[in-house]
Order: sequence, then structure tokens, then C-alpha cells
Amino acid sequence: MSIPLHHVNVLTGLKGCRVIEDPQALGKIIKKAERPLVVFGPRCLDIAMGEKLAVQYGVEIAKALGAAICATAHTKKKLLELGVVPDSAYDAVEIINHLKDPNWKGVKKQGNHDVVMFLGMRTDFGNQGLSTLKHYAPHLKTVTLCPYVYPHASFSLANLKADKWKEYLEILINSLN
Amino acid sequence: MSKGQSKQEEINKTIRAEDNWEPIGPTSMPEMSDLRRWDMRLLKTYKPFYAPFCDLCCFCTYGKCDLTGDNKGACGINISGQQGRWALMFALMGCSAHGAHARHLIDYLIEKHGENHKIDLGGQVAVEAPHIRTVMGLKPETLGDLKKAIEYVEKGIIHGVSATHFGQEGNELDFESKSLHIGMLDHVAMEAADIAQTIGFKFPTSVAETPLAALGWGAVDKSKPVVTCVGHNAAVATVMIDYFMKAGTYDQVEVTGICCTAIDNTRYSDKTKIIGPLSKQLFFLKTGIADLIITDEQCVRCDIPDLARASGSALIATSDKISYGLDDVTHKEIDEIVRMITQEGKQVLIRDVDKAGEVAAKVLPIVAKGRKKEIVTKEKATELADACKKCMLCDRVCPNLLDISGAVSEVKEGKFEKMADLFAKCIGCGKCEQECAKGVPIITIMQAAASWDTFNIRVGRGPIHDVEIRKVGAPIVLGTIPGIIAIVGCSNYPEEIEEIAEIAEEFAKRKYIVVLSGCAAMAAGMKKDAEGKTIYDKFKPDFDAGGVLNVGSCVANAHITGAAMKVANIFAKLPLRANYEVIADYILNRVGAVGLAWGAYSQKAFSIGTGCNRLGIPVVLGPHSAKYRRLYLSRKEEDDWTVMDGRKRELINTEEPSPEHLSIVVESKERAIITMAKLCIRKNDTAQGRQLKLNHYISLYKQHMGSLPDDLQNFVRNDKDIPIVYKKEVVEYLKSVGWHPKPLLTLPTLIGTYESNIPIDAVVK
Ligand code: SF4
Ligand code: SF4
Ligand code: SF4
Repeated sequence: MSIPLHHVNVLTGLKGCRVIEDPQALGKIIKKAERPLVVFGPRCLDIAMGEKLAVQYGVEIAKALGAAICATAHTKKKLLELGVVPDSAYDAVEIINHLKDPNWKGVKKQGNHDVVMFLGMRTDFGNQGLSTLKHYAPHLKTVTLCPYVYPHASFSLANLKADKWKEYLEILINSLN
Repeated sequence: MSKGQSKQEEINKTIRAEDNWEPIGPTSMPEMSDLRRWDMRLLKTYKPFYAPFCDLCCFCTYGKCDLTGDNKGACGINISGQQGRWALMFALMGCSAHGAHARHLIDYLIEKHGENHKIDLGGQVAVEAPHIRTVMGLKPETLGDLKKAIEYVEKGIIHGVSATHFGQEGNELDFESKSLHIGMLDHVAMEAADIAQTIGFKFPTSVAETPLAALGWGAVDKSKPVVTCVGHNAAVATVMIDYFMKAGTYDQVEVTGICCTAIDNTRYSDKTKIIGPLSKQLFFLKTGIADLIITDEQCVRCDIPDLARASGSALIATSDKISYGLDDVTHKEIDEIVRMITQEGKQVLIRDVDKAGEVAAKVLPIVAKGRKKEIVTKEKATELADACKKCMLCDRVCPNLLDISGAVSEVKEGKFEKMADLFAKCIGCGKCEQECAKGVPIITIMQAAASWDTFNIRVGRGPIHDVEIRKVGAPIVLGTIPGIIAIVGCSNYPEEIEEIAEIAEEFAKRKYIVVLSGCAAMAAGMKKDAEGKTIYDKFKPDFDAGGVLNVGSCVANAHITGAAMKVANIFAKLPLRANYEVIADYILNRVGAVGLAWGAYSQKAFSIGTGCNRLGIPVVLGPHSAKYRRLYLSRKEEDDWTVMDGRKRELINTEEPSPEHLSIVVESKERAIITMAKLCIRKNDTAQGRQLKLNHYISLYKQHMGSLPDDLQNFVRNDKDIPIVYKKEVVEYLKSVGWHPKPLLTLPTLIGTYESNIPIDAVVK
């Protein structure tokens, strides 16, 4: 089992994430989604990855997939500045609370989502939210796009150094386009 | 078991039923399930949201049991039941900590002053104990009556603990109902504790403008003998201060404290100094500035004997809750104990308040003699950081996910900016240092990066005055004071400690009433503006629009919730006596109060928050609190927002999610501010009040989110609610989302929306 970067997130249980080392393999998984959703957390506003911010990588992934966007915390402002109008601006626990309900209408009112990707949350907070979904939302798959092992996600990246993460996301985006 | 005649007679005796200060309501001294129907009504809208921290249960020898998904444990419990059980256990731990604290204080003060010592909170506070009045039906008059309150809490705790045992409760909603009950009892315990110490130690009361006290580790004059009290119980410090005063040596020593004992010390003597909140405990104790450490109870590090030894500080433990394996010398003569400490270098446990206080006063000048107290210089820090290999192991164990390795490597190069930033965000756990295989003393290095500035804090003032409630009652209920913002709790902050001052100031400037307590009250004082002023210098200390006040330590939190109860009583004339459901319903629907526990970590904070929730007060928590694993959330579009219009006696679907949640975690300061502004909205707001609340909500949302709120349509009932400044764009927006006017209410209440013994008449005054 992969140990998360931050030990606060060590799994106390048996059902942990599958770490997807190959970005193209992750691309295949998320491409299959019928109603994907990308959830943005505030940390992606501060992480610079070369010329771009992490949030911009997330937007590219969402665009490539035609995924709905949920802006949590105060990420909506930056997304608007980037010319992206999020489909919803729930806070993280609110969107997670909705996702638990298989009959929820989803942020686009077209039905609940089947694959939910998370980018830019505090890892401890994010892992807690993923725990809720692991236990209470068996109808959906969760994917984390941050460079950390998230044991409660369905699919997670490995613990990656900044340059490897950038490379991973770039290959992932290419594989989606 | 339901109450039989003899039990009712016993209750009547306890609450002196024959006293007719108010009619006795339906629930005097309620037992664990007596308010269950109210809880279930709340939980219908604000459903428990669980985020399990552990998938396994290991409570009994059938386990470990994996509770993932649909799995049940060997006892039959499922993951939700288990989370509910955790919630109840947290609430019980928190309530017990306050209850035992109150018990210590009350027993000590009864020894000192007798059971008949009168409760007198001064000319401004006639409704002395809204919680005890409302929950128990007792109007406490003496210390002996406060003892009755604690006995009642103690009885409640035993049933609560029992329910957590194997093969007892299994349903999550029933666990939550019990947690809510225990949370309610916690406020009774806190109220009893704070009233007892206020009358027993003559803390300020009935005064709004209490003095300012010095705050910050930089405020300590280390050339003097320094004693540092750590914990929550100021009893020993009061005796020690008296001794110094009597001996005429008080100005030759520094009495300091960390956490709530420090706050209460300043209420006893404003010459005492507050080092800072819990998060600075390890940092300060490692400096060795304290010649003597006195520990009492709650939030005290478990390794203080080691820390004291390493820093060369003497140690006296004073609580049976934290005995550290030390020799109990309570039975020995004072001179003998002084000798043991000063000559043998012994760390001791003294379980007698008076003796501990006198010993402390006697040993302080002796143990301080000749001690060198030097703060680590930048040169020294650079040297200490030299061993760092940037392995990043420290980063991995940091519970605040901080970039420690980055900061240490910069120090290696003689740069301190990152380290200063790290210190501002550090919650003081010491795990980084422990993990470092190279032995880099990270916390010690922080001494060279920390600011050694002096700040100030308003001395805790105790209860809100009845006359203040009379003045603000109407504006609060009508909504023209946009809300009461209570910033409370511990210092497990996600980011810089300064965020607390920033949040408080944002609301004070907007003319909310800002009330602080405990570590949050300290943190709020730890930021200065360009003119060197803290928030306590800038805002008036009144319970009024734009006021910023500190009620006191953790146990004084009961005065904040008590203020909301007093609004129902003093302004709305609802009787408090044994009338919990009516009062809670009033607060939920009509008093725009919201709590913020931005750095909550403790079980006490959980229990306080849960008590607020039963009383209808929503609480916003910082991201660490996701690890409490339970929230109370609604789903605004999906849930039923029907209330009874008490005057028309009609059920009305308001379609308005107010307050939207009872307990929510948010991730950033910006979101916290927006959420708090929104959670102040109440169904009872007049059009003028709603305009004002929406004005703040919209302006804050625009500032931090860059647009109009996307749920604005939920809170505009008709045109009159729309703030004038935003009229045009709001009207356009409402049109675009197909908004329609909502029914108007004359008196919103949940009574009548669920099965209850309370007649609707009870809420109409
Ligand atoms: S209490 Fe129940 S779930 Fe927990 S270990 Fe025992 S049998 Fe298993
Ligand atoms: S654990 Fe020690 S050696 Fe490793 S990065 Fe942290 S301070 Fe440096
Ligand atoms: S002491 Fe501070 S920096 Fe070190 S691990 Fe704890 S929170 Fe992180």
C-alpha cells in the first residue's frame, strides 16, 4: 500500500486507493466518464507550475473532458478571472454532501456525476471528504489530481515531485485531447 | 425510564419549584432523551454528515472490525453508527473536562466561602445564569446551587458514557441526539464554572471596559523571576498572586500564563501576562524563560516534565487530571516541599490549591536565581540548522502540512523570512523536531525568526449585561444589527494566526457584534495595524454594533450562548425556566448568531459547538475540524424549509435555507467570512434587516468570489429585501434564474412542524 506524503492521511482500514502511475492510463479511466466533474480547492490558486498555475491545468482537464466545474472555497474568483464560469460554487463539504445522493441532479442538472476529480485541496481536508465518498457514494469514482497519495480516493497519483507532477498532468491532458 | 412522581418531587426540590420567579416550563432538568423530539427535528433538516477518520473499529475484543461500505461490526454497528458514537464520545470528553473543572472550582470555593456564598454578578447582570435557568429550571442563588448544577451534569454524563458501550446505542441519529444533549449540559457546566470563579475570585463583572492586559511572549520581562501557568484553572495562581501581594514582591516577579489559565489570571490581576494560545506552548516552554511552570488542567502538553527538565525550569503539577507520574507531596509540610524543589530539583504534584500557590510563590525567587535566559540569535540558529539534509521527513509528519524543510534550508543560508512564516502557521506540536534524524532543533530555531513584539488583549468581562441585551435585542431580532459573530476555540489554525484578527476586524467594521473567548481572544490581539494598534485598541468593548469584546476563558463561552438566550428572555419576554425547546426554537429562527471555531482541535470545542447547535446557533469550523468526522449540513435546494407561522398558525414553505447549516467546515478564511455572513440570515428578519444582511453577504461574496452569490435567490423574499446599492444587478440576476417572491411570515417557528408537547402559544408573545 502506498503511504501518503502527509502521514496524517495514513489509511486506517483495508480499502485504499489505486495509485495510477501512468498518466495515459488515468486518461483512459476518466475519459470513460459520462458526467465528469472537476472540483477545485483553494491550494491550486497558489501553486505555480512553470508559466501556469495548477488551477489552469485543472481547467484544461475539465475542458478536454467536457467536465462540469465546481469551485469550492474562494476559487470562483480566480476561475472567473481566467474566463471560466464554474457550473457551481458549493463549498467542498456541500458538494460532497450532494454527491452522496445517487439521485441528485448534478451541478448541470443532468444527473449525478459518475467520476469526480479533485484538485487543490489541503490533503488532510481532501482525504476526509474522499472518505465520505468512499463510504457513502459507492455509485461514483473519485480521482485526485494532486501530487500526493490520497488513500480514500478510488484513483490517486503517487507522491510526486513538482517537475514530475507537471509532466504527469501534461501527458494526461495530451491523452485527453 | 420516564419520570415517576418521586423523581419529579426530587427535581422540584432541587429547583425550588415553589419559587415563582417564572412559571415552570415543560422540561425541568431534562434527561438524555427528554428533548429527543427537538433533536430529531433539527436532524431532519441538518443531517449528520460523516467523514470517517478510521474505517475500522477497535473498541472491543471482537474487533478490529472493518466498517467500510455496507459492512457491519461483529456487534452489528455500521459506519454511521460508529461515527455517531465517536461524536458522542467527543462530546462527553469535552463536557466532562468542563464539568470536572467546574467541580474543582466549586468544591474549592465552597471550602473557602461556604455553600451559601451568594451569586452576585453586579448591577448590570440580573439574569445571572440563563443556561441553568433554562435547562434546569433553577435560578441559582449561591455556590451551593452551582454545585447542584454540576451534580445534574454529572448524572447526565454517566448515561451518555453508558450509551457508548458495546451493545448499547447503534443508531446514528440517536447518538447525535445524545451528543446534542451532552453539548447542552456542557454549557450548563461552563456557566457554573465561570459564575463560581467570578464570584469566588472577584473577577470583573458588570463592567464592559475592562482593562487591557499585556499579551505575547515578547511582553515577558525575563530579567525577573518568571512563573508560567499552563492550562485552564486559575485557582492556584490566585493564591500565589495574593502571596506575592502580601509579601510586597508582586512587582518583582512575572506571573504569566498560556491558554485559558492565562486569560483568567488577567481577570484576577491585570498585571499578569498572557504568553499566547496553546499553539505557542511548546515554543515558549522550550525557551526556558519560565523559571517555574505550574500545570493545572486541560490542553496541557503530556511531556511538560521532559520539557521542563530540558529547559531547566522547575515544575509543579496541581491537578489530579495531570499527575505525570510525579511524587504526590500534597501531605507534606510547605517548607519540606520547597526544599525538595529547590535543593533536590524535584518535580512534584500538589493537589491542594492553597498549598500549591504558596509553594509556588516561595520557590519562584529561589529557582530563578542565576538562571541564564538567552534567546537563540540568528547566528546560532544558522549554526543549528546546518545539520539539515533536506530529507523532508519533517514535512511529512507536520499536521499543518507546512514546508519545514524549505524554511530550515533557508535558515542554513542565514535567511529567516520562510521560518518567520512557518512560525506564524505552526501549531506547535513538535512532531517535526521529533522526526528529524539529524537532530535539527526546529522549534528552538523558531526563536530567532519569531516576532518578540508586545500586544494587548481586553481582560475577559464575563456575562453580557442585561441592559446591553435590552438595547440590542430588537435590532438583532429584526436584523438591523446584522449578526453576533462569536469567534471562539483553540489555535489549531490552518494558516497564519493573524487570520483571526482579520476575520474579527472584517465583521467589526461592518457593525456586527464580535465576541471572543479563550485562545481565539488571544489570537485576535496578536496583530497590529500600521499605527501599532490591535483590534482591542480600535473597537469599543460593548455588546453592541461594531463592538469587539472578550468574555473570558473557554468556560465563559456559556455567556455568549447565554446572551442569545437573554435576547429571548429580556427582549422577547419568553420565560427561560425549564423551557429549552422554546428558547432554542426562538434562537434558531430569530437570533442571527453564528460561531467560528477556526482552530478547533479539542473535544471541548466539539462539545461546545454541539451545545450551540442544539440551541439553534450554527458553527463554522476550520479545515482541521474535518477530523472531528461529523457535521450537520442541509441541502439547500432539496430540503424542506417549511415552518409554522406562529401567528397565523399555518405551515408555510418558506423555500429559504436559513440558517443553511448547523455545523460546517470550510477551507479558507475568505470562505469562512462569506459563510458566516450568510449564516446570520434568519427567517424573522424584517425587510430592512434582510437588506442589510444581504448587503454584507453580497459585498463579501463579490470581494472574495468575484460575482453575485449564486444562491441569492434563496434569500430574497420580495423586492423589499434587495439592498439598494445592488438593486439593478440583483433584479437582473433574479430574473435570469426565474426567481419568484416567497410567502411572508409573521412569526417563524418550528414548533408545530413536528410532534411536541409545546403548544404554539408558547412561542407567541
Ligand atoms: S464495538 Fe462492535 S464494531 Fe467495534 S470492535 Fe467491537 S464488535 Fe467490532
Ligand atoms: S527532517 Fe531534519 S534534516 Fe530532514 S529536512 Fe527536516 S530539518 Fe532537515
Ligand atoms: S511543530 Fe509546527 S512546524 Fe513542526 S510539525 Fe508541528 S505544526 Fe508543523
